[in-house]
Amino acid sequence: MTLEQLLADTKPALLDIQQRDLTEIALAKDWQAKYRVLMQLGKKLPAIPEKMKQPELLVKGCESRAWLMHYHDKASDKHYFVLDSEARIVKGLMAIMLCLVNGMTTAELCKFDLWHKFDQLALKPYLSQSRGNGLLAMAERIKSCC
Amino acid sequence: MPAFDVQQFRQQFTFFQQQPDWVYLDNAATMHKPQVVIEAVTRFYQQYNSNVHRGAHQLSQQATALFEQARNTVASYINAQHLHEVIFCSGATAALNQIAFGLMHTVLQPGDRILLTQLEHHANIVPWQLHCQRFGVIIDVVPLTTDHQLDMLAYQQLLQLKPKVVSFSHISNVLGHIQPVAEMVALAKAAGAITVVDGAQGIVYQQPDMQQLDCDFYVFSGHKLYGPTGIGVLYGKTTQLTRLTPIFAGGEMIDSVSFVNTTFNKLPFRLEAGTPNIAGAIGLSAAIEWLQKINNKQIVQHKLLLLKEFYNGLTAIKGIDILSSSVHNAGIVALNVDSEHPADVAELLNQQKIAVRSGQHCAMPLFSYLARPGAIRCSFAAYNTLDDVNRCLLALEQAVEILTA
Repeated sequence: MTLEQLLADTKPALLDIQQRDLTEIALAKDWQAKYRVLMQLGKKLPAIPEKMKQPELLVKGCESRAWLMHYHDKASDKHYFVLDSEARIVKGLMAIMLCLVNGMTTAELCKFDLWHKFDQLALKPYLSQSRGNGLLAMAERIKSCC
Repeated sequence: MPAFDVQQFRQQFTFFQQQPDWVYLDNAATMHKPQVVIEAVTRFYQQYNSNVHRGAHQLSQQATALFEQARNTVASYINAQHLHEVIFCSGATAALNQIAFGLMHTVLQPGDRILLTQLEHHANIVPWQLHCQRFGVIIDVVPLTTDHQLDMLAYQQLLQLKPKVVSFSHISNVLGHIQPVAEMVALAKAAGAITVVDGAQGIVYQQPDMQQLDCDFYVFSGHKLYGPTGIGVLYGKTTQLTRLTPIFAGGEMIDSVSFVNTTFNKLPFRLEAGTPNIAGAIGLSAAIEWLQKINNKQIVQHKLLLLKEFYNGLTAIKGIDILSSSVHNAGIVALNVDSEHPADVAELLNQQKIAVRSGQHCAMPLFSYLARPGAIRCSFAAYNTLDDVNRCLLALEQAVEILTA
């Protein structure tokens, strides 16, 4: 497995999440339904193989670990990411985050306001408790790529 | 004797009226405070607030009297021989840091050994480790048996290495297992070691008797005994406290200062630098006075009942991996859902307003030993009800259903 392959596998998964799952989450009739979808999201993203999880890729949450790989296509100035997490719900939420930023230009990434976006998707409560689940740490790591 | 009335007991905690929807099972992290404690703290600030020990005015003398009365309450609760053996600090972590720092500078020599156990909280590992390298001190670790209890045979063997200090927790903050603390202290003393007992979880389980237990140091935090946060106790025998180099300097702990030399005040002030947490000490004292009116045997019985109900319920849920033993357990249950990350389980419980802790609970060495990424920890207190237990079980069932769907 290479970064290129992981990037190639991540791209269609994110597209699928964006086109189908986000609506499903928004329309979920109760929290159980919402979480069932959330947990499926993580499964759609490819897993980063253990031996590729180098220490410098680690994004530490208080309760679970996550990993972020970054690729900057200099010709088009676009940023692409691959991520993984030990925890399924966190990975699902991170997948949503990735949908929003994958393929952004440096200028777009710098301007990107995750809080505002998550608020629009009614997912803001997950961010505020994220000191524990590492979501905010992941957001900061993504932002630091610009 | 009338039976323990949990509802009447629970009513004394305003928190539960403010947050009626929540099931609070994170008591090993911090406990709720009865109204009398909140009132004692408020009363101090409203009526008596002044700094202690130094003021030229009567108000300061009043505050000092209340603060020293608090020391008296703690000392008699734990049956310390002398008042000055009770040192107020910010909590068990601060106390353990003071002991490790203090002994490293006076007692421990290069090549000396200290003995800890596999299930210690980081606060009883890292303060020692911080100095070990610099001072050339070696740490030995008591392993666990297959049922996650301390291996007492190994303990006795390790004592033959003649450690200068033996430091262990009364009750594991992750598993809830009660260590044979009296036996362990006796064995360590027979081997000539200084004994340190981390009573952070033990203090609420059992009123400790310092003269009977005969350990050299015992530490605990007020907030795990219905008291305020930011107050704790470092108990030490006079001879041992005298040997400790103060970790903090300044304020009341000074006797005389010149730029050439400083001499320290006598105990307990020598180890209480700066303005102490006066309101905290008064709050803790109020908690202890209140607690002494309640029969602890009934509380222990009540918690055993909760534990039994919880274990019964857990065995009926498929795929639960229970790390805590149901025997010798003080009311803490660490568990996982098979092949699921504890953070996911905790989040699904959180959605159902069940407050538990998840992760490694500041005990990473224990989790590497258990070979688990962490665990959910459900910790019960006297104000928890059978309804709390059942709601937690239902929520766990729901979590398992969602996770395995």
